[in-house]
Amino acid sequence: MNDPYSVLGVSPNASDEEVKKAYRELARKYHPDNYQNNPLADLAEEKMKEINEAYDAITKQRTGGGGYQQSSSGGYSRGSYQQSYSSGSSNATYARVRNLINAGDLGTAERLLYEVPQKDAEWYFLSGSIAYRKGWMDEAMQNYTRAYQMDPGNMEYRQALAIMQRGNMGGYRPAGYSSGMDAMDCCSTMLCLNCLCNGCN
Amino acid sequence: MFGYVRPVRGEMKCKDFDLYRATYCGLCRCLRRRYGLLAPMFLNFDFTFLALLLWEPEERFTPCRGRCHANPLLKKPMCPDSPALELAADESMVLTWWKLRDAVRDEGLWGGLPARALSALLRPAYRKAARRCPDFDRAVRGCLEELSALERENCPSLDRTADTFARLLQSAAPARGPEGRVLEQFLYHLGRWIYLADARDDLEEDRARGRYNPVLARFGPGGDDGALALTMDHSLAQMGAALQLGEFGCRMPVLENVVYLGLPLVQRAVFDGSWAQIKKQKIWRSDR
Repeated sequence: MNDPYSVLGVSPNASDEEVKKAYRELARKYHPDNYQNNPLADLAEEKMKEINEAYDAITKQRTGGGGYQQSSSGGYSRGSYQQSYSSGSSNATYARVRNLINAGDLGTAERLLYEVPQKDAEWYFLSGSIAYRKGWMDEAMQNYTRAYQMDPGNMEYRQALAIMQRGNMGGYRPAGYSSGMDAMDCCSTMLCLNCLCNGCN
Repeated sequence: MFGYVRPVRGEMKCKDFDLYRATYCGLCRCLRRRYGLLAPMFLNFDFTFLALLLWEPEERFTPCRGRCHANPLLKKPMCPDSPALELAADESMVLTWWKLRDAVRDEGLWGGLPARALSALLRPAYRKAARRCPDFDRAVRGCLEELSALERENCPSLDRTADTFARLLQSAAPARGPEGRVLEQFLYHLGRWIYLADARDDLEEDRARGRYNPVLARFGPGGDDGALALTMDHSLAQMGAALQLGEFGCRMPVLENVVYLGLPLVQRAVFDGSWAQIKKQKIWRSDR
């Protein structure tokens, strides 16, 4: 295993507080919420595992290295990187489609879904999930909206639509890049992008 | 179609700005060395960004000094030639060529004359570039053919048309392991975003000239800035998520600046119309 300190990006002399802060920042970055139904979710999950192990190793070391292991992860390790597609399907085809989406086999999932004669709310939801995973965000939005309209009581559809409506505001941003530029008026936008133009002389 | 991908200079640290400028100048020199005196003319922010993305993660920033192409009396710090820079130069040539061919096709017999003349001059350089990255050349050609077929049939799906350009840019990533997957996902959404930004930018012109525009085909003659901005925001979010999973070493702050500040700002400018003025300005300025 890599050196736990380099995994967290802190020096071995860092205080407990600094280690914790670095860990929390990384955990925020690779949090499952940021990679829901993302084709790279498995990579994020690996990273998360790595930093959890590193943090556990450091706390273990610092508390004397005995058999005692602090439950350090602070709830971050919980949560799934995939949407829990396996539950809630009454229809056998839909259950198979959900499994295929989880496995990342979008082509087969799409084919299977198109063979379903009756398009109900779940059909639109799954169709939206496939589109989202492919990066076809406009179609994902349309399908999720349709699913929600057909069955407004369903939490799964409502949540998916809420994520779509959130746009770029949800995910992780490194410190210093929080959308401070939003306050800028039209003239300063001009000025700001003008700066770049003589950036390379 | 190009020039949307730029950093916000005011929010950069000096060392990151130096890195950006040295990459720009290094790519310029690399283009000149590989493809002759005409090639640096087509250098732009987007290609610089591509070079930054393709850089080997473990490689450090060690600029050398070289003579400036625009002003040979000056010596400037620039990144030395490297496989990543050469790949970026080759792919830039291929992209430039196909963009020119696109202009020739779009503008008709007389309007397309300048592009036709340029592409005649550039043909040997393109041939060389296509030999060096045949897979990329094939992918670009294939995607553009698909795109023009969709345009001809007036495709109403925003995602389907954007997908062709997204896959085009995606193929610029050299496929290797998890790092390659991260780059592919990133470039897919960058391509999608560029295509949509460009479509929004051309909206008025296409409406006036009765040409195909994916935004018009999807949302009708009125357009729908809210929905378009939302779907572009999602691509930005996906780019950010992919970026954080990659190993980009010392180039990470520049890439983060572009993704979290530059692109959203350009997007805003495209929507409020100020982009039309901004894009006209030349990259090179002779003062100073």
